[in-house]
Amino acid sequence: MTPLLALTRANIRSYTRDRAALFWTLAFPLIFIFMFGFIFQGGNQSQLKLGWVDQDASPAATQLRQAFAAQTGTELTDAPKDDALAKMRQGDVDAVIVVPVGYGEGVTAGAAGSGGPTSILVFTDPSRSNLVASVYQAVGAVLGVVNLGGRPPLVVPQAETLQTENLTFISYFVPSMLGLSVMQVGIFAAIPLVADREKLILKRLAATPLKRWQLVGSNVLMRLLIALVQTVIIVGVGVAAFHVEITGSLLLALAFVALGAMAFLALGYVIASFAKTEEAANGMTSVVQFPMMFLSGTFFPIAAMPDFLQTVARLIPLTYLADALRQVMVGGAAFAPLYVCAAVLLAWLVGCFFVASRTFRWQ
Amino acid sequence: MTTIPAGGPVIRVRGLTKRYGDVQAVDGIDFDVAKGEIFGLLGPNGAGKTTTVEILEGLRQPDGGQVSVLGVDVSHDADAIKPRIGVSLQTAALYPKLTVTELIDLFRSFYPTSRSTKEVMDALELGERHDARSQDLSGGQRQRLAVALSLVNDPELVFLDEPTTGLDPAARRSLWDIVEGLKADGRSVLLTTHYMEEAEILCDRLAIMDHGRILEMGTVEQLVSKHFQERTVRFDRLDGLAREELERLPEVTSVKEDTNEVLMYTKDPGRTIGALLDLADSRGLEPQNLGIRRATLEDVFLDLTGRALRD
Repeated sequence: MTPLLALTRANIRSYTRDRAALFWTLAFPLIFIFMFGFIFQGGNQSQLKLGWVDQDASPAATQLRQAFAAQTGTELTDAPKDDALAKMRQGDVDAVIVVPVGYGEGVTAGAAGSGGPTSILVFTDPSRSNLVASVYQAVGAVLGVVNLGGRPPLVVPQAETLQTENLTFISYFVPSMLGLSVMQVGIFAAIPLVADREKLILKRLAATPLKRWQLVGSNVLMRLLIALVQTVIIVGVGVAAFHVEITGSLLLALAFVALGAMAFLALGYVIASFAKTEEAANGMTSVVQFPMMFLSGTFFPIAAMPDFLQTVARLIPLTYLADALRQVMVGGAAFAPLYVCAAVLLAWLVGCFFVASRTFRWQ
Repeated sequence: MTTIPAGGPVIRVRGLTKRYGDVQAVDGIDFDVAKGEIFGLLGPNGAGKTTTVEILEGLRQPDGGQVSVLGVDVSHDADAIKPRIGVSLQTAALYPKLTVTELIDLFRSFYPTSRSTKEVMDALELGERHDARSQDLSGGQRQRLAVALSLVNDPELVFLDEPTTGLDPAARRSLWDIVEGLKADGRSVLLTTHYMEEAEILCDRLAIMDHGRILEMGTVEQLVSKHFQERTVRFDRLDGLAREELERLPEVTSVKEDTNEVLMYTKDPGRTIGALLDLADSRGLEPQNLGIRRATLEDVFLDLTGRALRD
């Protein structure tokens, strides 16, 4: 086995046998996700909120409205079309049904055997596929009664799509938590690094033919692997337990996870350069991680923060990692374009690498 | 890179200096280590032993002087000797959560050629603890493992920095056997220690270091006979006998006292002891644990530095 792989395997073994490290990098984010997931799940999941737009104002349209209103777990909000769509975009209603002008006449004609089926418009957000399914379940149930099994059907739904901006809290939180975990896996590397230096392990390795790039490379490989495991676990729990919809490319998300992990690992090396003891490294990682945790939009959107804190948020690398992950994974609103996120993370990686390569002490 | 002829020294140090801030850690030392010999650097903590060894291992750059290890100028080409030397640092530098087997396998992967894990483990008597994590080993076992790791590449030259510090007597003896085994295998060994007994038992030759300088160098025999033609008469410290009185006793060349004991160096122990007992008797005193011994390294060190080398 090559030195690089052998050392990577040794690192992984040391890591998996360290309960504290396992807790902080794997259990801690899950605890947060479950805690916030259950707190914010609320009642909105059971109730289907429909925006109702009646442009026809015919008795048939009123009948249809009554049929929808009679569905259990369905709540109707009447509004003009523009208002209803705006409400949906903001997340106040889950879907919008529009009964167009001529609906009444169309149904009457259809019942008399002349003309084809009449359409109603159903607006849903395809990125929330669970919701889409429940909307069409309700629509199907109602139209089944209206059509009375007639062939051809009197009324058919016409699917319309609308991109909503508002993510459910958990959809916002899961990619944010992934970003936070990746940050921790990177900067927490400082602690074993300083411990290994204190125990003279780094010095002992320097007395073998092992090269420094192999030592650093094994750390990078191990941390990337942990970040991958974190991604699988966090995304898996988000999808399985909280029905988070992953709308974008998981590969692109993984690329950001990898870039972020390396940038924060480089930051971990910078911390290890300045910390002389393991205790100091512990303290310094806390000092670095807590402001990032709370000011990077992990728990609430940056837009909701006061201006001066937004300025701080702009300087924090985690802001860009979490933002990129939300954009890619759940279609979250962009704080910065993806290429800017990638550029900022890359800049942190290069900058920290430069500082660490000049200041890191091997002995 | 120049190769030294067979039989030439495996280590050659000339005018080596190293300074840390205000401290002159190594202050112009010269010595050679011959192939197949166990060479000791003996001295108290802070004498500059570890700094010297770490320069030879290629871990530190010297400020001045020439250092050649296995014919290679270490300050310019440290990488060239690393596959050929074995290193054990002052403390056993072990990943705490890896097992004995895992650590040996890991270190084997660093070298182009290596001995088998089983061979190394058996040689160091670690077989029955092969599955134990290094953090669960006893002090002696940890130290043996550290030495085992220094031997995975079948090195020509082994550096052992304070290999028995902090070990109990049994563990220390077991490690001495291992070091003697290294010599029997034809390896050269440079070891540092601040235990006189260890240096006397293990080292073919040694250098006594203090404050970054080598005070004396040679075999134990040479060092002792150079400083002391006399025998030593010792007894527990006794109030009531003045040092000046002891110095006037027949055949006594010098007297040294510390808090516990009195040492009288004499050319004729019989006459000296007779006179000592007469003197003590006249005061109603009786010297305790009276004995005669040859001078030891301890006496040499005391003579060279004016202080004892005990912990």
